[in-house]
Amino acid sequence: MSYIDVLRESKNVMTPGSSACQGCGGELVTRRVMQIAGPNSVYAVPPGCMAGAGTVGWNYKSGIHAPIHITLLDNTAAFLTGVSEMYQRKGRADVNMVAIAGDGASADCGFQSLSGAAERNSKMLYVCYDNEGYMNTGFQRSSTTSLGSRTSTTPIGSAINGKEQQQKYLPLIMAMHNLEYCATASISNMADLVKKIEKGLEASKKGFAYVHIFASCPTGWGYAPQESIDVARRAVKSNAFPLWEKTRDGFKINYDNKKPIPVSEFVKGITKYKTLTEENIASMQRNVDSVYATLKKLAAE
Amino acid sequence: MSERKHITPIGDDGVYVLDTGSWRVFRPVMNKEKCIECGICLTYCPVSSIVGDENKVYTITYDYCKGCGICAVECPHKAIDMVPEGGTK
Amino acid sequence: MGKIKALTGNTAATVGAALSRPDLIAAYPITPQSSVAEGLSDLVHDGQLDSNLVQVESEHSAMSVVQGAAAVGGRVFTATSAQGLALMYEPYFRMSTLRFPMVMALATREMTSPETIWSGQQDAISVREAGWIQFFCDSNQEVLDMIIQGYMISEHPDVLIPVNVCYDGFYSSHLIEGVDVPSQEEVDAFLPAPTFNHAVLDPRTPMALDPMTPGNILMKYRKSHLDAMEKAIDVIDEIDKKFEKQFGRSYGGCISEYCCEDADVIIVTIAGMTGAGMDAVDLARKNGIRAGLLKVRAIRPFPAKKIAAALKGKKAFAVIDRSVSFGWSEGPVHMEIKAAIADTDEKYMHMSVIGGLGGADISVDDMYDCITYLDRCKNEPGEHETRWLMKD
Repeated sequence: MSYIDVLRESKNVMTPGSSACQGCGGELVTRRVMQIAGPNSVYAVPPGCMAGAGTVGWNYKSGIHAPIHITLLDNTAAFLTGVSEMYQRKGRADVNMVAIAGDGASADCGFQSLSGAAERNSKMLYVCYDNEGYMNTGFQRSSTTSLGSRTSTTPIGSAINGKEQQQKYLPLIMAMHNLEYCATASISNMADLVKKIEKGLEASKKGFAYVHIFASCPTGWGYAPQESIDVARRAVKSNAFPLWEKTRDGFKINYDNKKPIPVSEFVKGITKYKTLTEENIASMQRNVDSVYATLKKLAAE
Repeated sequence: MSERKHITPIGDDGVYVLDTGSWRVFRPVMNKEKCIECGICLTYCPVSSIVGDENKVYTITYDYCKGCGICAVECPHKAIDMVPEGGTK
Repeated sequence: MGKIKALTGNTAATVGAALSRPDLIAAYPITPQSSVAEGLSDLVHDGQLDSNLVQVESEHSAMSVVQGAAAVGGRVFTATSAQGLALMYEPYFRMSTLRFPMVMALATREMTSPETIWSGQQDAISVREAGWIQFFCDSNQEVLDMIIQGYMISEHPDVLIPVNVCYDGFYSSHLIEGVDVPSQEEVDAFLPAPTFNHAVLDPRTPMALDPMTPGNILMKYRKSHLDAMEKAIDVIDEIDKKFEKQFGRSYGGCISEYCCEDADVIIVTIAGMTGAGMDAVDLARKNGIRAGLLKVRAIRPFPAKKIAAALKGKKAFAVIDRSVSFGWSEGPVHMEIKAAIADTDEKYMHMSVIGGLGGADISVDDMYDCITYLDRCKNEPGEHETRWLMKD
């Protein structure tokens, strides 16, 4: 079945009306993941945009048509491990275990529990929607925020110009956990994304599956909502966000950029990058090239 | 429903739905003369406001569409126009 | 009939947990608790215990993993000490406010700094406002028994609050005592399999566990939690009697008294210091002082009425705390007992005694000195200066 048919025929698990911003990459990720995993799943969503947008409900109401828990910001993978273990114990391994967490809950304070669950190979699919910062609380910096980004904790000042560090490349760190499946995906490359969620769910029956999804954020990054997909596409095309996967057979690059666009084209028109210096862009380009070269080596036969 | 005991905080009284259709400033309108029913708009809609029937015919629904405009940008055939709300249509 | 075995407190906790047939165990090693994590791992790896054992990378995750399993109706167990408890505070508080039953053994230890690994109750006492039921045990037998009772109390439909079974690090955790170990059949006859299902993450009954909740509704949950704590006082007594019927051992519920009936002066103890306290009471009685001992077994729920009743008619009391209340210049349990007697007409001479921090000993002599001081000053009502059991 084509990915379009998969999405057309699947049920909408999430509330039709969520308070995510117009053009939200995170909402797009969450809906697609929930459509594919379906209602026979237990969802764990830590504080962040998607919990804030109402997936975990209000008062006495839920935000989705499936069991869901708003985990702590830093215990999503550990909490879901307990749930998963009980479902194995009860002989109900058909129920999917799905975490949908932001980059802060995954790369920063949630990293310990994420790494622990991955090392144990606990049976679950962990999806990180990476919007490169704590967007739900007003766009503070996270460790996946890219160099030079203007955030509310790395403002553009007369002494310091945005974020001073390169982003932490979490997906490759996760791939080193000997887990069942690890992949990156982007909201711009939907066929690839759908396939990876399907593969991740399948792998989650055997162990830990991790999918790291680029989820651009119009409100926090500063671009018009209708450009979300295009921004993500430029990230992929410039290798700022390469698409790859690691199965038990090894690494594979899924979108081989023969002629990548320069990083300067990716960052163009995005407000959070508006004060990037030439030097910043050159530094980002070197970092992007270096990560991609590493991936190429990993994916080589 | 019987009276709540307020033991563990749970949401079991249906699903919370926000009226996001009211946010819309521009409304996406499909031009079926240009549309080839490829369904790409459905895959990119962050709100799942675009539906396709069993004949793979796609329609925009407006109850929750936030009017982000992604579908109009991403349509490979430029078959979706963003029209100001409160206009003629 | 059980079998008498020589067990450390940690082994007693391990055996108590195993006899309670937990579905899932997740524990992270920390001194002085480590042998609990090791003992349970041995049992599971040897195929003697059918529990899902999850090896976690921290106490924070230990409490989070068991929380997930409890959210599917599982009976779960963990154990920790001091820094481990501090690290797990976030999911610890949430376990109780999600109202999931469980038992956690706590080999109590002083909090760093200064750097220490030795005994103290500052860890458990510091989290007494985190919504858990907290028992303090003074014998290894009591540790084992309270873990089994703990599940029954915790899973009681009127309670649904997790239970800490606390015992002094090293003094109890590592010292060997004779323990009557009940058979699995006896424990099975006493403790039924868990049936709690007030909140379950299951696609068959989809719900959101913990939706965003505004204050007016949140307060209803808090009130219900406090009401359940109140009810727990009776449930604890009830289950103590039930346990006695089955196993022939009773601990008296939330408090237990020793030679209190005709006593003028009372020392109040918590956990392992109780034995030394009883010896001191015996010595004092021999020397003509009408002394008694009140052991506070449950710090949460705080058995205020029972304590006030036990102190009624006495002239003086001292509360020996193995922890401090910063800002009050006294021990926390002394502070709480003052609150418990505030509304009575009694006029006591009373004082806080602080000792045994960081593994320091609380000797029979220390206890005896407290008793003689109380006896000397018993007709001088009011709070006397806090006594520190410090030696050079």
